[in-house]
Amino acid sequence: MAETITGKSGPRFTLPSLTLLLPYFRRYGLRLAGGVAALLGVDFLQLWIPRFIKRAVDELGNGTATVPGLLRYAGMILLIALGIAVCRFAWRYLVIGFSRLLERDLRDRLLSHLLTLDRVFFQRHTTGEIMALTTNDLSAVQLACGMGLIAFVDAVVMTMAALAFMAYIHPLLTLIAVAPMPVLVVATRLLSAKVHKRFKKVQEQFEKLTEFARSTLNTIGLIKAYTQEATQTEHFGRMGHDYVRDNIRLAVVQGILSPFSGLIANCCLLLVLFFGGRLTIQGVITVGDFVAFVSYLFMLTWPMMALGWVANLFQRGATSLGRIDRILQEKPVLADSASAFVPPRVDGHIRLEHLTFVYPGQTVPALMDLSLEIRPGILGVVGRSGSGKTTLCHVLARLYPVADAAFFLDGRDVNTLALAAVRSSIAYVPQETTLFSESIQFNITLGRADASQAEMEAAARAAAVHQEIMALPDGYQTRVGERGVKLSGGQRQRIALARALLLDRPILIIDDGLSAVDMETEHAIVRSMASHLQGRTCIIISHRVAPLVDAGEILVMEQGRIAARGNHAYLFAHNAFYATIYTHQTADQGKRE
Amino acid sequence: MRYGYGYFEEEHLGQVADTSLWQRIIIYSRPHWRKIALAIGLSLIVIGASLALPYMVRLGIDRYVVNTEPATQDRIAGLARLAWLFVGVIAGGFVANFYQVVILEWTGQTIMHQMRQQLFGHMLGLDLAFFNNNPGGKLVTRLTNDIQNMYEMFTSVIVTLFNDFFQLAAIMAILYWMNWRLALILSLLLPLIGVSIVWFSRLARDAFRAIRTHLARINAFLQESLSGISVIQLFLRERDTHKKFVELSQVYLEKNLFQIKIFGIFMPAMELFSAMAIGCIIWYGGGEVIRQHMTLGELVAFLSYMRLFFQPIRELSQKYSIVQSAMASAERIFQLLDTKGTMPSAAPEQEQPEMRGEVAFRHVRFGYAADQPILHDLSFQLAPGQTLAIVGATGSGKSTIVNLVERFYDPDSGTILIDGRDIRSLNTEWLRQRIGLVMQDVFIVPGTIRENVLLDQRMDEERLAAIIDKSQLAALVRQLPDGLETRIGEGGLDLSSGQKQLLAFARVLARDPKILILDEATSSVDSETEMLIDRAIGSTLANRTSIVIAHRLSTIRRAGYILVMGKGRIVEEGSHESLMARGGIYRRLQDLQLLNMPEGNGERNSLP
Repeated sequence: MAETITGKSGPRFTLPSLTLLLPYFRRYGLRLAGGVAALLGVDFLQLWIPRFIKRAVDELGNGTATVPGLLRYAGMILLIALGIAVCRFAWRYLVIGFSRLLERDLRDRLLSHLLTLDRVFFQRHTTGEIMALTTNDLSAVQLACGMGLIAFVDAVVMTMAALAFMAYIHPLLTLIAVAPMPVLVVATRLLSAKVHKRFKKVQEQFEKLTEFARSTLNTIGLIKAYTQEATQTEHFGRMGHDYVRDNIRLAVVQGILSPFSGLIANCCLLLVLFFGGRLTIQGVITVGDFVAFVSYLFMLTWPMMALGWVANLFQRGATSLGRIDRILQEKPVLADSASAFVPPRVDGHIRLEHLTFVYPGQTVPALMDLSLEIRPGILGVVGRSGSGKTTLCHVLARLYPVADAAFFLDGRDVNTLALAAVRSSIAYVPQETTLFSESIQFNITLGRADASQAEMEAAARAAAVHQEIMALPDGYQTRVGERGVKLSGGQRQRIALARALLLDRPILIIDDGLSAVDMETEHAIVRSMASHLQGRTCIIISHRVAPLVDAGEILVMEQGRIAARGNHAYLFAHNAFYATIYTHQTADQGKRE
Repeated sequence: MRYGYGYFEEEHLGQVADTSLWQRIIIYSRPHWRKIALAIGLSLIVIGASLALPYMVRLGIDRYVVNTEPATQDRIAGLARLAWLFVGVIAGGFVANFYQVVILEWTGQTIMHQMRQQLFGHMLGLDLAFFNNNPGGKLVTRLTNDIQNMYEMFTSVIVTLFNDFFQLAAIMAILYWMNWRLALILSLLLPLIGVSIVWFSRLARDAFRAIRTHLARINAFLQESLSGISVIQLFLRERDTHKKFVELSQVYLEKNLFQIKIFGIFMPAMELFSAMAIGCIIWYGGGEVIRQHMTLGELVAFLSYMRLFFQPIRELSQKYSIVQSAMASAERIFQLLDTKGTMPSAAPEQEQPEMRGEVAFRHVRFGYAADQPILHDLSFQLAPGQTLAIVGATGSGKSTIVNLVERFYDPDSGTILIDGRDIRSLNTEWLRQRIGLVMQDVFIVPGTIRENVLLDQRMDEERLAAIIDKSQLAALVRQLPDGLETRIGEGGLDLSSGQKQLLAFARVLARDPKILILDEATSSVDSETEMLIDRAIGSTLANRTSIVIAHRLSTIRRAGYILVMGKGRIVEEGSHESLMARGGIYRRLQDLQLLNMPEGNGERNSLP
């Protein structure tokens, strides 16, 4: 999913990415140190319990044991166990808690960074990609810094301790005993990478299955009308079959991996039994040494298994961190220069001079040598899809960078003006309507939370949606979206328009924002706006021509250029494209002439 | 991360002891009992091997390492023999484990696959009324998460539960056999362990659920913010958005910390119990050794069996909640399977005459809910080959007429006749195969354009080419390097809404229905595609009975007969000319749309 962010395979370790974590390690340094100390405490205390057991058994063996003595040993064991429990709780809470804190901080930082990025970025990265970043990648980092860190420290300490004790008893036997261990490390690493890959495949197939079920159930009426029930079920069955196959492929690898550590541990035991047994028989080591050796060997199994697992965890975490880092390194292309001028007021007088615009990453210009003067009043823009209408809106709304001396606002080059000042003089209604899952009031007053009820209603009236809002169960307090009412496309668009009108800014740009509103209403809105927008500049893009006939001027765009401009009557008479679509959209008007 | 397409369900908990539910679950696994038995058998081998290994080590130590009686040569030879046996047990255990995992996975997945297929097929067979009451997201959850829950129970629980109990029972039996007094004292710990397991699994489940809910919330918020990022930026809402996000993030953190605390208490608590058991063995068991009621070897065995005892206990504590949620899922799945359709379809007839395409409504009354009638006493008649346009505001009952002709619903009273026969006496599949439906939505089957046009039909190339041509898809197909074989939908080419419309027309033409129902799209397409759609409509309507919910003037004009609907009743009807002459609602609708003709109302053109 995040292929474009990662490339094929990310670098394993990038130092700059790791430095990203440094401030967090510093911020929670005390917590981390406490956690690691507690962990070491657990390891240390754990080595003690077998000693007490051994002493008790030895005393029982040579007959020096007494019941009060045994009770003391039992008490000591319990006391140590209590200490272990406290330390265990402490490291869990401190270190895993640290990883959660880190996760929260990174997530907050990611969002606040994303909020500063511009269209250029969001065009390259889809919402799905970014969501994958904040879910999968973030949790990979969290796992590496939580359980990964703990398992790493624990494994290293335990391995060192166990190996030291074993080497003290007999160095050569130690070498023989741990000979199979590297196989375990390598196998765990290789196999768990494979498990991860196959697991991802299973997940993908699951998503496919879910998506197919969702789309089938959403269009159930059509499926029934076409009597496709059996065909769809069969198709679903084929996908389900693939899902079963992928799961079994996963199980095959897991079936090898999960008992593998036990297998290796038993191999080690076998080696100790055979070679250690021989050494004992030959009198090189004592029986007590032999038994101790076996118990230390058991202590080694878990850390060995953990090392392979930890290596994968760290690698995955580092790759994910690299991805997160790359997003955090992104800079908005549009940025104010130090000398940006903040105009005291904006009149909304727009002038374009030989503006040529190419979308970042593309070679063909979307707008070619555009020169245009836009004065207060309504400007309509029509044209085929792909003719550059929406691009013009994007440029005018300052969503993309433009060349110097091409776009002037109130006589000043926009590149010399502060971005926030320019944007706050523009109200923009984009093609896709975005409403948030909040109340209608929240959505309309999005840009002006301080607006009075009367102001809000006036805007809603101008957008011809007030009546419909009042008809809803909770009026303006009705919740929109998933948990609220489902509004029609036309209602959503008009609410978005009301939101823009309420801003009351000098420039209003509507990018085909009324496409789902019926023609009659659209026309009514455009007319009411003409009076509402005294002295303001309004640019309306529409795929329907009829509602624009009142516009002071209409542009016909074609292949990124202005093909024709003028009022309705002029264009109807002189522009073939305009005349054709107008005639077509008003159907039988030609016959009635 | 699985978050179910914006749908999150508060799960209720299943009754673990619901026998009728268990009976139904068992029905599904019965055909596979051989494999399940094999898996259980294999896992017994695995357990046997893992219990045998420590015993063999002890045997080796006692007989050959410590025992100095036999000659050194014999001791080493005996050790070697034992080592080979050891190798055999290790290998056997490993192989058995592997096959056990794979067989279990295969069986579990096969059972779930069957269940999922049955459920999906069953769902598709239900009436549309059912789908109105059940949101799609909920049904998808049944097919995915609920089935997954049951699968987890099948594989990880049924067999491991069996193994765990078996292991616990075996260990307890051995302990009682070795020294019943010590075993009895250790048994006093059991209720304590039991209570803490129940307490833990309950808390852990709640904590886990809270975490999932909050993660879903964070994701939903993030998704919405990202898709609305330009609105947030244009309206300068960055700070508020961030603030809200930080709040959500903080709550999520707190829920996570709570879960850490619960696990942080439970896991060490289990260790503490284990230490208590060891303490008991040392103190009381040691006393028994002193009193010579017990040997030192038995004491050591007690200690090592105690270690084996706590492993399954930890597992059991986590399995209980899986069973609970699986039972809840099973209940929901069976409930769905028990839902029956309410509209019986007549059996297919042997010799059914071909449909002529006459449609008639006689005094039809209908409402989706009993107290909210949508259509009141609706009657009209449509001769074969005639085109009917239905015009009216949203909510006037236009789409309901379509739903009744397709027999998605039956009228509350009155009859609908096709070729003079009551629609209820016809076989539904036969009926629907002869009705073509084009709606604003188009379903895309993952596959090629050809597959999507033909669906389940076969056709020669020539006819298909003609259809592609008539439906105005030809230009698109020619542009594509793979032509008709281009894959569309998930992972393939993404068709625009206009192109999807054209595809819908191609589908209808391929099925060549006697009756066509067209619910015209209101959504925007660019002017050129609109002309293509217009032409496609022209060729699709030709030579068949058509009912059109019309929005475009050009489409309305094609109809010989027009119904103007208002609040579930016919307000006006007749031809375009007669309705225009009448000067009623239809005339007014037309006039509004023709308002801006430059010739008609020149004064409206505000020329600069």
